[in-house]
Amino acid sequence: MKPVYIVGAGMTKFGRSEWSLIKLASVASLAALRHANLGDVPVDSVVVANMGAARVNRQTALGSALVDQLALYPAMAEAVENGPASGASAFKVGCQAIASGMASAVLVTGVERMRVVNGLEGTDFVASLSQPEVEYIYGVTLPSLAGMFARLFMDRFGVERKHLAMIAIKNHENGTKNPYAHIQQTVTMEGILTAPEAAVNNPPIAEPLHLFDCCPVSDGAASLVLVSEEVAAKLAGPKVRVAGIGQATDTHAVHEREDPTDLKAVRIASERAFSMAGATPRDVDVAELHDAFTILEIAESEAAGFFDRGGAHLAIERGETRLDGALPINPSGGLKAKGHPVGATGVAQLVELAWQLRGEAGERQVKGAKTAYACNFGGFGNNVVATVLRREET
Amino acid sequence: MSDTVYGAKCTSCGTVNYPMRAVCRSCRNETFEPIEICGEGKVLTYTDVYALAIDYETRYLRLAIVELDDGIRATGQLLDDDPKLGKRVKTTLGVVRDRGDAPILGLQFIPI
Repeated sequence: MKPVYIVGAGMTKFGRSEWSLIKLASVASLAALRHANLGDVPVDSVVVANMGAARVNRQTALGSALVDQLALYPAMAEAVENGPASGASAFKVGCQAIASGMASAVLVTGVERMRVVNGLEGTDFVASLSQPEVEYIYGVTLPSLAGMFARLFMDRFGVERKHLAMIAIKNHENGTKNPYAHIQQTVTMEGILTAPEAAVNNPPIAEPLHLFDCCPVSDGAASLVLVSEEVAAKLAGPKVRVAGIGQATDTHAVHEREDPTDLKAVRIASERAFSMAGATPRDVDVAELHDAFTILEIAESEAAGFFDRGGAHLAIERGETRLDGALPINPSGGLKAKGHPVGATGVAQLVELAWQLRGEAGERQVKGAKTAYACNFGGFGNNVVATVLRREET
Repeated sequence: MSDTVYGAKCTSCGTVNYPMRAVCRSCRNETFEPIEICGEGKVLTYTDVYALAIDYETRYLRLAIVELDDGIRATGQLLDDDPKLGKRVKTTLGVVRDRGDAPILGLQFIPI
């Protein structure tokens, strides 16, 4: 496989947007292309990540639409849909194009515009990824799967609601340092858990998960420019190498998994990504995890190999995953504070990590970060893409 | 509208695939016999979910994964005012989703 480099990263602010789907995608793409400063190197492939446009925006064939907006013809183009892991899947497709020699410069853009429909319709659109005959018909939604997972996981490993709150507090604090984050507000343990008014501030969404355990519903787009080694050599600026990508699947219905608290697809995808990178979890300086629900940050950090099973909540108590800790997790604010425009999320995680590795993450910069890891969690853990990035000294 | 919920028991290794699938998840055999998903068991986990999909007019739904005594696990609606992990329940059938013109029957769990 030929080496692949990330040379440009950009995104829109996440939140509620008045922009059209394609406007969001093109703004993020132009930011990434300006960042890459490709000069006369043509973009020869465009990959768009999106989950719901066919349903919520009544638009399809987004690869062709973005090529047209950016006048990048005759570049190759397609859209990739893989539920909430669409972003990292599209990134993988872009990397494969370069690794195989079919392309030299690829634009990967994730986009979702889901605030355009009401809450019920938005929740239902995401729930349509669940198993249709044995989950969806019962009223299963993603929050309900997370609630059932959380109750079992917390009971088994002694995780308490205060640990979940610590994740929310940390990620909201990080989010205030990220101008692209949807929610720019800190929260306190009193405000969301211990004070009497916490019951009003933080109502249940899927017991034992409450509002501040769940990511917001966001519009937004994020974009990366990938190039071959030959193109990277011609460009100025720090080089971020795609060191490893791993992907793994698991049963569609959660109830069929031998141990429903074991995020097996995260474990296998991560092992594959680390193996390809020739690295171990100990080498990672900064990580972006898919905290659509606070419990997932805990469970993914264990399945990825950063902590032993049942150990992550203790590490959180010790502050190890804060920005100033040994392994900062979700410096961007995570899905919790940055927001979760579903198809854009996997790309946005890698945008943050590319900025971190280039030393361009501003107030939330993890000093000297060299190796970074991302987990993009699709379905309810039945399709996961893990990525390891590494800064190369020039 | 089916009045029975079925899984698919592999004719080679006996694994119950629920949902039914084309290829057995344990041994890759492709022939099955239907097996009814019913009986008694215990609550493996549950939630009260307020973030509902379309088709529901209630404030929340109580959903559970139940482990039946024959080892099969199933997701369904829990009709119990005092839910607990590990509590004994049994299956029944009821309307679990109604799209106006097409009520869907499915598994509900009630205390024994």
